[in-house]
Amino acid sequence: MEIKHGAMAGTLESSDIMVTILPNPDGIQIDLTSSVEQYYGDSIRATMHRTLEALGVSSARIEAVDHGALDCTIQARLTTAVRRASREEVAK
Amino acid sequence: MDELEIRGLRPGEEAEMDALLAREGLRRDPWLDYAAGIFDGGTLVAAGGCAGSTLRCLAVDRSRRGEGLLSSLVRHLIEVQCRRGNFHLFLYTKGSAAPQFRDLGFHEIARDGQRAVFLENRRQGFSDYLRTLQTETPPDPAAPVGAVVMNANPFTLGHQYLVEQASAACGTLHLFVVSEDLSVFPAEDRLALVKAGTAHLPNVVCHQTGSYLISRATFPSYFLADDDAAALAQARLDGAVFARIAQALGVTVRFLGTEPTSRVTALYNQALEEVLPPAGVACRILPRRELEGTPISASSVRQALKDGDWALAERLVPPSTAAYLHSEKGQLVAARLRTAGQVIHH
Repeated sequence: MEIKHGAMAGTLESSDIMVTILPNPDGIQIDLTSSVEQYYGDSIRATMHRTLEALGVSSARIEAVDHGALDCTIQARLTTAVRRASREEVAK
Repeated sequence: MDELEIRGLRPGEEAEMDALLAREGLRRDPWLDYAAGIFDGGTLVAAGGCAGSTLRCLAVDRSRRGEGLLSSLVRHLIEVQCRRGNFHLFLYTKGSAAPQFRDLGFHEIARDGQRAVFLENRRQGFSDYLRTLQTETPPDPAAPVGAVVMNANPFTLGHQYLVEQASAACGTLHLFVVSEDLSVFPAEDRLALVKAGTAHLPNVVCHQTGSYLISRATFPSYFLADDDAAALAQARLDGAVFARIAQALGVTVRFLGTEPTSRVTALYNQALEEVLPPAGVACRILPRRELEGTPISASSVRQALKDGDWALAERLVPPSTAAYLHSEKGQLVAARLRTAGQVIHH
């Protein structure tokens, strides 16, 4: 899927992750801020890379703010953000 | 648990927001373009707003701290901003509140001690900007390295004189042109006129200020009149951002022009003279070039255009700016100025 414009999904509540996705000229860039970065940062980034690959996204800039989301939550939020960002018209 | 409602404020509810902000030692910015609150029953327990790509005036009632109200409010405001297409967001807050915003994904750009911290929601935002500035700079810049920041609305003989003086005093001169498109001359045209009017100075490197210097995010009162205390606080923070840029580019001297008719420029210069020297950047104020005893400023060019005095306007600008004023784009701006109210910088 192609990222056509910016989109977001998720909240800043505990156990959730807020994902903002933007078009990127080249490749995947993930900038993560997480309350559990020290322990799970790499694992969260790996989950996001896997999810993007499964969705066929090869270029995107992602800003994620995590408050201890589980893997399934990370996948769900990122998938929603990607679907919103690849829709034809920008929701105004 | 009580049902909390997050929504935009309705007409007549601003007074409640003002009262909440006042209890937290804050005041409502005059230029909010959206304000929202969290209501518990009929009571406002948290409030905040947006202005351009910034989040502002955020406050949570003292008795309701620790319930996650701030994160719900910030989430709501971010969603509003995303719907407007603003994904790169800024806010500034007191030093004591900065850690809370860090948890909400806002990263520090610069601070004025504990007084104010300037934050953005992009982890690499400012470092990407600094990298861009370095990429735009030729390798091994000659010392001393200086800088000038200007809006150039439009570029005049006064600006040109300032840049020439600064350029002669420096090995390399970084010239920053304000990117924020809130001035009567469009940002793109202002930059092009600065480049054209300084093309004869090989040691000048032009940059855009992006969202980081004299933007609506750092320094709203540059564009919109506000009280002196607010303007001074914002100018100090703008100076703190500049100090970080100076560090990245090795800038050791900042040149400032006087603007005798503009109160906000005087406050700005005053703030920079306080903030920059301790950060290792000397401030040099250069006097304005004058025409027949009157300082040449962009304000006087705009006033001349407003009055339809083309002969005067042409005597205040270099040939490159004069040619632009006669172009189709320049005529459009002149037409806007003729119908505008105040054109002198406040």
